[in-house]
Amino acid sequence: MKRSLLPGLVLAMVLVFFYAPIAVLVVNSFNASRFGGSWEGFTTKWYAMLWESDDIWDALFTSLKIAALASIAAMILGTLAALALHQFRSRWQRLHLAAITVPLVMPDILMGISLLLFFVAIGMQTGFTTIWIAHVTFCLSYVAMIVLARLQDFDFTLVDAARDLGASRWQTARLVLLPLLMPGIIAGGLLAFTLSIDDYIITFFVQGAGTTTLPLRVYSMIKTSRNMPVINALSSLMLAVTFIAVAISFRLTKRPIHK
Amino acid sequence: MKSLIIASVLLASQVFAADTLHIYTWADYINPALVKRFEKEHHCKVIIDTFDSNEAMYAKLKAGARGYDLIFPSSYIIPLMVGQDMLQPLDHARLANLKNIEPEVLDKIADRAMKHSAPYTFGYTVIGYRTDKVKNIAATWKTFARTDLKKRVTLLNDMRETIGAALKSLGYSLNTRDEKQLAEARDVLIGWKKNIAKFDNEGYKAGVDSAEFTVVHGYSGDLWQVMQSNKKVAVVIPQEGVSASCDEMVIPKTAPNPALAHEMINFLLDGAVSAENMAFIGYLCPNSAGLKQVDKAFLQNPAVTIPADVKARSEIIQDLGDDLKKYTKMWDEVKASS
Repeated sequence: MKRSLLPGLVLAMVLVFFYAPIAVLVVNSFNASRFGGSWEGFTTKWYAMLWESDDIWDALFTSLKIAALASIAAMILGTLAALALHQFRSRWQRLHLAAITVPLVMPDILMGISLLLFFVAIGMQTGFTTIWIAHVTFCLSYVAMIVLARLQDFDFTLVDAARDLGASRWQTARLVLLPLLMPGIIAGGLLAFTLSIDDYIITFFVQGAGTTTLPLRVYSMIKTSRNMPVINALSSLMLAVTFIAVAISFRLTKRPIHK
Repeated sequence: MKSLIIASVLLASQVFAADTLHIYTWADYINPALVKRFEKEHHCKVIIDTFDSNEAMYAKLKAGARGYDLIFPSSYIIPLMVGQDMLQPLDHARLANLKNIEPEVLDKIADRAMKHSAPYTFGYTVIGYRTDKVKNIAATWKTFARTDLKKRVTLLNDMRETIGAALKSLGYSLNTRDEKQLAEARDVLIGWKKNIAKFDNEGYKAGVDSAEFTVVHGYSGDLWQVMQSNKKVAVVIPQEGVSASCDEMVIPKTAPNPALAHEMINFLLDGAVSAENMAFIGYLCPNSAGLKQVDKAFLQNPAVTIPADVKARSEIIQDLGDDLKKYTKMWDEVKASS
């Protein structure tokens, strides 16, 4: 029987749509042309310029700091929420589930402006802390959903077995439940990290003086900056770092565990 | 974890020390070398945050965001901010360099007496084109009707700018409230729409650079940046007059440090500083003392300096209040036409 060409074609198209834009970005980071419309020769000047752009680095570090702190908090709160939702089936938990789901479907603009109005109402100065709170708010839901999915096909007889064999509640949670849930928690945390680092709309509203994140900076640069390709250079570097990190993590997980 | 949070909260609050100036502006809109000099001269720290649209900035401040000392909004939104009591009056006693601002620019803006705002940059909306692809270009808005350029042309995706261009092509004011004039402009615009590739606010820069588009409707500051890197791009200033835009400096009522904000305004309006600043940002600063010192080549550029007679026919887009609805309705009709 002749093999169908269709799967191969679909695969090729998916790969092109995923990676061609990234390839264009990387190529343009070495393009002497400021607007990337045509190739005008190889240059590394955008990388040199990036090296000197303190405010871009500041924005990047603000973004990374917020994303890291927000995803850690979301991982803790989201896991606890998922456990409660899975274990109990009261009317309060139905309300809880609704409260967790709403941020997933609520438009960002609504969430941004309402959070800002809230912070103003309670007299809180907008800044790093308010961005962090806002990010935890929307990241939490994603983590909770992913952990909840993992709990759905979780074998609770393992917990019972541990208790039977004399483990305390705490030991069971720490040595049985948590390690088995960990892949879900980590996946939720990574998703939260990604969502936090590229959020624009919510951050715009809850951001205060002195806390410009990278997306805010990039949007404004598109409008007025003469040095736009610096962003291509930064993106290429971030891409390289991501690939290296993924490669290392593959290495580590493949290696057999020696005891 | 907990200590990290506490540390970051402390960091966030530390930023609001007395000797800090918080500026809210567009990206790369002040020469960083000048910012460093200001910091040294005034023993302070300058922190710059950026926004990308006047409307978003306004919405955020209106909702109660505070902490900014100096903001750089576009001229048209300032009457709205004054109306909402968001700005504090400028103290002219502390702003000796206000005298440097060109009077003819002041004639065009709403706040002529500079009660709340001082002009920072001035630019026009013009036509950019490829010298190698477009022959015999005429200095008129009617260029957008040229069928030999079909699908190679872009218009700004900005209601007031684009309707303004159509109104100007007919010889009307771009702030008109006359419905008959607007109806005529609508028909002109529907004709242009058949001819253009798309309405575009950002991509036209790369488009004209790569010759994907041969004639574009764009901001002079943007097109000047393209011309810097591509000699085949030039601008032409429509004789009927163009729309002018002005970004200004204002101090919000909630400013934690208005004294330092005044110092900064005065600093940026200094002739030598202004000249140095223009060369970096690529927009014209309407500063007579600065214009005397700036590089002559910069001024000879048609994207920066436009002929006096066209300048006289140019207007700033004004806030039309309730009559804006007429524009919105017409813009919808244009967008819906095929």
